[in-house]
Amino acid sequence: MAPSHGDGPFAHRQHALLLKRILFFGGKGGVGKTTCASAVALAASRQGKRVLLVSTDPAHSTSDIFGTPFAADEREIHPGLYGLEVDANLEARRYIDNAKAGIARMFSPAVAKEAGRQIELASSMPGVEEVALFDRIGDLIVDRFDAYDLLIFDTAPTGHTLRLLRMPELVSAWITALSKRRRALLALNQDIDQVRLAPEAIDPAEDPILKTLDARRDKLEQVRARLMQHNFTGFVLVVVPERLPIEETARAADILAESNVNVCEIVVNRVLPDDVDGDFYRSRRAQERVYIDEIKRRFGAYPLAWVPQLPTDIYGVENLERISAVLMGATW
Amino acid sequence: MDWKELKQNVGDFVHGYFVSEYERKLREQFVDLNDLFMLQCFMELVGLPNPAAIYLLDVYPFFLEEFHTWHRRMGMDRSPIGSMPCC
Repeated sequence: MAPSHGDGPFAHRQHALLLKRILFFGGKGGVGKTTCASAVALAASRQGKRVLLVSTDPAHSTSDIFGTPFAADEREIHPGLYGLEVDANLEARRYIDNAKAGIARMFSPAVAKEAGRQIELASSMPGVEEVALFDRIGDLIVDRFDAYDLLIFDTAPTGHTLRLLRMPELVSAWITALSKRRRALLALNQDIDQVRLAPEAIDPAEDPILKTLDARRDKLEQVRARLMQHNFTGFVLVVVPERLPIEETARAADILAESNVNVCEIVVNRVLPDDVDGDFYRSRRAQERVYIDEIKRRFGAYPLAWVPQLPTDIYGVENLERISAVLMGATW
Repeated sequence: MDWKELKQNVGDFVHGYFVSEYERKLREQFVDLNDLFMLQCFMELVGLPNPAAIYLLDVYPFFLEEFHTWHRRMGMDRSPIGSMPCC
């Protein structure tokens, strides 16, 4: 077993994952994303880093692993390890409430009440929660970056996460288009002023709509830039040696590469150990070997980490410690 | 009216005529552009998804006046969106 404490002989030689500042863990549902994310978070905190582990998976198993409830605000769940649970529903709520407050400031109470009802309806529109969730992740990436040595995001199953990572591109392009139109409009308005020699147009620098749009766009671009910074942001894909997870992982790796997000490791979880006995396990192992060869062939370009199937399921810090050690390079 | 005054008046008239034509063109262009802008902001109205919808909630309050003239021009008597409570 590798030493797991900060003062151990390996403390000066850090695992490549721990050199990152932002890590995302993704993969098909049930492959052990949360376990791996928690294990790496634990390993990093043991090396004396300040770590924030963010659970964005609606299943929120992180609380169960650590046996401590995660909350909507950051709290220390283990020495040096802080936890936070992002509830997409709650984030959407918060965003909508903000918008309502804005309207309440500008209009009469009767109007605001009517508008509030409608906005309430809008909040159940598809996509709102997704955008709110992304917004929160973006806030953490930008605003909490300096407060921690490592931010770890335990994400929802693959498809959802990939859409999330591509969202800034899409939304920012959209907002850019809007802002460009608005600018053209205001410029035209100024031309009209000049012809009439009667200034009534809004100065583009003073236009609240343009200001709001541009602020949004700048924020999205900032998040996007951080996501694509290969030297400090990485995506870890977790897979188990089975058909469907392998296919999904291959697709995810392609899409991430397309979006210019760095896949920094593929963790192969729940590999049967060599010393298992009995016909049942021997036949499972034989089949598994086929998949393992396939994984080596298809994902050879990425650093691979192998994690054994343990005799017990994983919960509690002690159990997690074993996975931590394996992920940090201990032999098993 | 002397010759000089007449010349001045004709000059002003011609100048005013072309300037107003020019202004009319500009205004037409402005209205078209604005329609497009509004459409992009309120895509939900025509049943198309708007990827930035939730971000636009921030700017809706600023839109109120422009939105009002827009939906009137689009032939909608009352505000088609309840969250834009202009009328």
